[in-house]
Amino acid sequence: MIYLDNNATTRVAPEVFEAMQPYLTEHYGNPSSAHSLGRKMKAAVERAREQVAKLIGAAETSEIVFTSCGSESDNWAIGGYLEQNPARRHIITTRVEHEAVRNLCEHLSQIGFEVTWLEVDGNGELNLDDLRQALRRDTGIVSVMLANNETGVLFPIEEIGKIIREHSDAVFHVDGVQAVGKIPISLKEIEVDLFALSGHKLHAPQGVGALYIRDGIELPPFIIGGSQERGRRAGTSAVANIVGLGAACELAVSFDGHDEIERLRNKLEDEILQHIPNARLNGTPDRSKRLPNTSSISFEYVEGENILAHLDNLGIAVSTGSACRSTTKQSSPTLRAMNVPYSAAQGAIRFSLSRYNTAEEIDRALKVLPEIIDKLVQMSPYDSELQALKMSPR
Amino acid sequence: MQLNSEPAAELFLNPRNVGDAAQPSFIGRSSSFNCGAALRISLQVDRSQRIIEAKFKAAGCSALVASASLLTDQVIGKTTGEAAELGQQPGAIENLLCGFAEDRIDCAALVCEALLSAIARYSDTVRNEWNGDEALVCTCFGVSERTIEREIQENHLSTIAEVTRACNAGAGCRSCYPLIEDIMDDYWRTK
Repeated sequence: MIYLDNNATTRVAPEVFEAMQPYLTEHYGNPSSAHSLGRKMKAAVERAREQVAKLIGAAETSEIVFTSCGSESDNWAIGGYLEQNPARRHIITTRVEHEAVRNLCEHLSQIGFEVTWLEVDGNGELNLDDLRQALRRDTGIVSVMLANNETGVLFPIEEIGKIIREHSDAVFHVDGVQAVGKIPISLKEIEVDLFALSGHKLHAPQGVGALYIRDGIELPPFIIGGSQERGRRAGTSAVANIVGLGAACELAVSFDGHDEIERLRNKLEDEILQHIPNARLNGTPDRSKRLPNTSSISFEYVEGENILAHLDNLGIAVSTGSACRSTTKQSSPTLRAMNVPYSAAQGAIRFSLSRYNTAEEIDRALKVLPEIIDKLVQMSPYDSELQALKMSPR
Repeated sequence: MQLNSEPAAELFLNPRNVGDAAQPSFIGRSSSFNCGAALRISLQVDRSQRIIEAKFKAAGCSALVASASLLTDQVIGKTTGEAAELGQQPGAIENLLCGFAEDRIDCAALVCEALLSAIARYSDTVRNEWNGDEALVCTCFGVSERTIEREIQENHLSTIAEVTRACNAGAGCRSCYPLIEDIMDDYWRTK
């Protein structure tokens, strides 16, 4: 399998698996227990906490709390802060957030909170004047993702943090799930209060995430129960998973192959855009404002789901920009917010690379893709539009 | 949406009847605002109202492509009346595609809609070109009173379904059912 769907999830790194293994076999104590087995487990959790803190540049190790996933971290950060500060009834977020933030804010707007949705332009970028104008005295929380999961477009969280501090006393939550491990992050140097990350996006297993809570920010516990995570998140720690997350973070700190991932991504993107006439890039063409591993490309007048199925049949895994259901197949809210035309949003494919992709794999994808697109173009009823692109059906 | 049955997946990966039927052909289209799919079916029909070629072009999910493949395959060799009958049962098409991950009735309905619209185009043409001196009973398929009488007499038909099978009359909008019944009554009364 040529796996080009690393923004969905990543394979567990062999080093991560190796680090976890003892905690699924001989080390089986409860980290809350006082005996030596328990203390060993507790030490493993604390070492993982240091590894996570180091990767995202937290000032204090105690600012890291382990959760079960990125969505939990997002839900806890936003829901928890608003619960703690009942006078704050206003939320600011963007149109292109991950469902964990977007659907939560949608829900909050239905139960009496007021939500301002910041728009993006055709490149998927924010206008920061919109943020300045949206900030109010009763704004409780601003939630902006660092990297978009579909297009890889990066939002300038450093600048956004400054604007929030300057114009309000709202807290700033960042969904960093898609960015952690892919670009350098140093939270102690920027004005971010809450920051969510997820293990399985950076070669740790599924089922573990973390929330960075800046020293001084109070959140009610997301799960009420025992005193795990200093009473902030009850439930017996998933030690093996947490050890895996820590190991993945340490691996990411020492990883030096980002340039190679970017080189492969650039090659894939350049050659597709150059050789396939109905291909168009989604997201800013300025690569310094996008993740180095992601390309969202629309193939106009053909169906993304068909491309996915053909690629899958040839052993290549990608994602589409739409989710087909029995009654509605909605194109992605991110692409809709960017005003990508319907005929292009339907044909969106996300390619997302990891350290495990090779030049041969990219060559293989580049070889089969034009044949697949050609086959679908021959089948498309949009003859005249495709003729205009000189992709005239035979 | 993934196809999880081998035949359906095979129909998608290697669809049958992709393209446009040879001229003169009758074209029907359908599209969905819900899912963004667009579809075109073209038919070539011979003098005995039999479909000799059925082709499609589609931009839609794999289930739609497989449905269109299957339905075009099914209607080749059928009379336009028989094809219209099939087109009125999207459930049957969906059943032929058994093994889909979930309810695909919308995809089947979209394909049926395009088929029926192509057949309607054919019927319109037949009706417009009709220049015989006898009255048309079934205006959907351009079947005259004399043709229906002849079929009933020669084959001793006693139900509308039999008449439809014999000459297409009644396969479309069904508004001629009472007229067909009158013709049958006359025949059986005088017999």
